[in-house]
Amino acid sequence: MDQARPGRDVLDRSLRTSWIVAGALALTLASTQPYDALALLAGEVISTLHFIFLRKIVKLFTEKRGGLALAIIGKVLVVYGGLFALMTWDKIRYAPLCAGFAIPFAVLFLKSMQLAFGAGPASLTRRAKGAMLILAVVGASALATTAHAQTSGPAQKEHSAAQAASAQAAPAASHEAATELPNWLVLLHDFNPGNAVIGWLEKNQIIVFAWIAGLLFLFVSWLAMRKPKMVPGPFQNAVEWMVESLEDVAGGLLGSHIERHFPIIGALFFYILTINLLGIIPGMKSATSSLDLTLALALITFLYVQFWGIRNLGIVGYLDHLAGSPRDAIGWMMLPVMLPVHILGELAKPVSLSCRLFGNIFGEDTLIVVFVSATALCLKAGLTALAVPPMAGITALFMMLQTLTSIVQALIFSLLATVYLYMMLPHEEHAPEEAHASH
Amino acid sequence: MLFPAALGLGLPLGIGFAAIGSGIGIGLLGKGAMEAMGRQPEILPKLQVAMIIGFGFAEALTIYAFVTMFFLQGRIG
Repeated sequence: MDQARPGRDVLDRSLRTSWIVAGALALTLASTQPYDALALLAGEVISTLHFIFLRKIVKLFTEKRGGLALAIIGKVLVVYGGLFALMTWDKIRYAPLCAGFAIPFAVLFLKSMQLAFGAGPASLTRRAKGAMLILAVVGASALATTAHAQTSGPAQKEHSAAQAASAQAAPAASHEAATELPNWLVLLHDFNPGNAVIGWLEKNQIIVFAWIAGLLFLFVSWLAMRKPKMVPGPFQNAVEWMVESLEDVAGGLLGSHIERHFPIIGALFFYILTINLLGIIPGMKSATSSLDLTLALALITFLYVQFWGIRNLGIVGYLDHLAGSPRDAIGWMMLPVMLPVHILGELAKPVSLSCRLFGNIFGEDTLIVVFVSATALCLKAGLTALAVPPMAGITALFMMLQTLTSIVQALIFSLLATVYLYMMLPHEEHAPEEAHASH
Repeated sequence: MLFPAALGLGLPLGIGFAAIGSGIGIGLLGKGAMEAMGRQPEILPKLQVAMIIGFGFAEALTIYAFVTMFFLQGRIG
């Protein structure tokens, strides 16, 4: 990675490759389902636009030039508006659109995996082999899709019927689950039951609150670092103190590796902290009280850790690590036992990370809901003296506990990510870092 | 015994048992950390990080029971 920023080159190449893949797939689909082919190409166009806008935004942001707001607005309008318009057009099915949108991501993922396996940017110039591989994959998938189209006519109908049934069952199930305090989106939905936009927002409120927290996080950091000074003002000082103390804590584990990995650890900590603390404000909701968000965060951590594990240990060293580093006869004999155990251990990490965060935040929320509804019950029964002072006191107490839980859970999530990363990094006493740095 | 009744009895009991285990674990961790801090106050920051991570691992077991309860709660009926 020492050659001056190969990232841009990789992105360009990935986009070109994805166009080849998408064109081939669309050609194979065009004879049987023309609209699916169209949707695939449309998804590819939107995804390409997404990457182009994203690169523009990042470039403008890092070089501190004007027109940033314009680029962001343009991206939102073109990419999200385009996606929304395509999804509302009923001739276009959802699956091929998604597939088209996902192609550049998949190609980018494959390219980064190639980088991770130590091939380096130089090997990307050997394109003939890569093109052969792509053609083989495309050919196989084309065969598979035509076969699928011929055989699965009736099966698809059944599938969609089952989907409709499950969609009907889903709201019923969610009513049975534990209640939660209404947030402003739910209230808005109650007062405007017919409004499609509000209905959509209410259905996807986890995403909305995650976005609010992310924007808040961005806003605070922008506010603090707008005009960085050598002698910081109180606000900048506070933010710098938080970041530096987290860096100290994580640096105690990672040592000299902290500089490279602190961005993701810090981002995880402060993002989760913002989301958790957002739930304390009445009318807001912690997005982490849904397993979806925590699982997404845990999967990001998992992929990041595995990526750096492969990159640092090399593919042989990584497999050796997974096998428990057998060095003697007994170690080799234990290999069939140790390998599955270690792989299971790796897979258990994201599950435990996500369940821990989700369980803690959801548990605290439920606790507060129980006491608030008990207060409401007492008020309904006319027991004002019983309801207000003790119940309000208990609820306030639990809210303080919730603050503590929010901070501790954010810390535990990011620290565990650090520990998992630490297990994958070469340790100081082996010192392969000098050899790595010298070339 | 009916399935919902068994579930209604078993889920809270399961959380209780899990909490006993986690409680013992966290207690032992806290005891060890406190003693070490008392002996060597200067390693407090390092110790605190390790302690919190240990708390996280110990507490996760109860959280698993809690999540299981949450997933099966709808079937109590």
